[in-house]
Amino acid sequence: MRIIVNGNEAGTKETGCALCGSTWGDYYEEIDGQRLFFCCDVCALEFKNMISEVKKRTGWDRIDELVINGNYYRGRNCIARHEGKEYKFYVKFGDEGEIQTFLD
Amino acid sequence: MPICPVCEYKSSEWYEIARHIYSLAKKSDAKHIMWLNRNLSVKEVSEEELTKSLEGFFRVRNNLSDWIRQKFIDKFYGENPHPFILAMQKPTKAVLLGYVIEHQHFLKNWVRILSTIVARTDKDDVIRYELGNIAVEYIGFNNKPSHYELLLRMGESLGMKREQILSIPPLPATRSALNTWWDIALNKGWVETMASMHSLELVADRSLVKYGAKMHYFNPKILESNEYPQEVKDFLREGYEADEGHAGEALELVDKYAEGFEDIQVSVIRSFDAFSKYLLARLERAIQIDKSVLGVLT
Repeated sequence: MRIIVNGNEAGTKETGCALCGSTWGDYYEEIDGQRLFFCCDVCALEFKNMISEVKKRTGWDRIDELVINGNYYRGRNCIARHEGKEYKFYVKFGDEGEIQTFLD
Repeated sequence: MPICPVCEYKSSEWYEIARHIYSLAKKSDAKHIMWLNRNLSVKEVSEEELTKSLEGFFRVRNNLSDWIRQKFIDKFYGENPHPFILAMQKPTKAVLLGYVIEHQHFLKNWVRILSTIVARTDKDDVIRYELGNIAVEYIGFNNKPSHYELLLRMGESLGMKREQILSIPPLPATRSALNTWWDIALNKGWVETMASMHSLELVADRSLVKYGAKMHYFNPKILESNEYPQEVKDFLREGYEADEGHAGEALELVDKYAEGFEDIQVSVIRSFDAFSKYLLARLERAIQIDKSVLGVLT
């Protein structure tokens, strides 16, 4: 999965957290067979919750590309892509990493 | 005294605070990293650079109220103004209703929290100030209705019955913000509580533009416009005129009674975080009413 956070490639320690783009921290999770870097476990949880919601709503088994724009305060406007299809959504997380608002 | 803005670990040197935060960030501690991401930078820096950033962030050049005002502008009125403030430049009915529904909870908690300041201070000017504020916000003053009453009238003028407004519980984000303010009120001193709460009134302070704010809380032309019910204009005008004086006077009292800056600064930044979350909750409520409001966030 290719991940773009606020205009920049993300998902490794060098490029930044797969959810927020931060290069602080040192937390990794394997998601859909890919080892992704996150600044902390909360970002990782938010990312997993978001991926799972997108899969549930689209019926896709995986996501090829994910474009994330936004931050904690404003929520995130995202575009997920899979086999030429595109799915746009807005997501905002609560204090514990849970999805608080999800709109498509 | 230098202080960790997250866990409030104290040291005589900012370098020690930077080392503490740095070591926790290396362990991916979520709370410390979140603070760094939200307040300093999302890019990892060395301990030395972090020391300089922290010193710069907390440095008070003139007085504490100036520092608070500048941080407020940076967060809510800077290069990327808060989306609720953007929405208030030409608010739709849904945005105003979102404001009413969430703000009723904020205002009620506001006066309850101010009462904790009254309960704990022995300073006459502070007691007088806070009781005056409580009267204006919740009881009514000089034969004028309270801001709480004007808020409910605004909601009614937009077509929602008072009973319905009062029956809607706060959104989780509003509840979370209220919990933060209660935590400050119950666990910190009255000066910290005063700074944390009254700095939020800066949101409607027209003088912020002089200090670098990119816009006002709402477009003042609304007050003369025929597009909005009189009750909307009455509510906005009252807040607009009152909060300017409120925030300035309260922050002068904070300057007068503050003993050391850092503890107050940490609480103020927490309060700003909660306020940002709460302002977004108003928009989330608006989106529930009219999905097109989502356009403000895209």
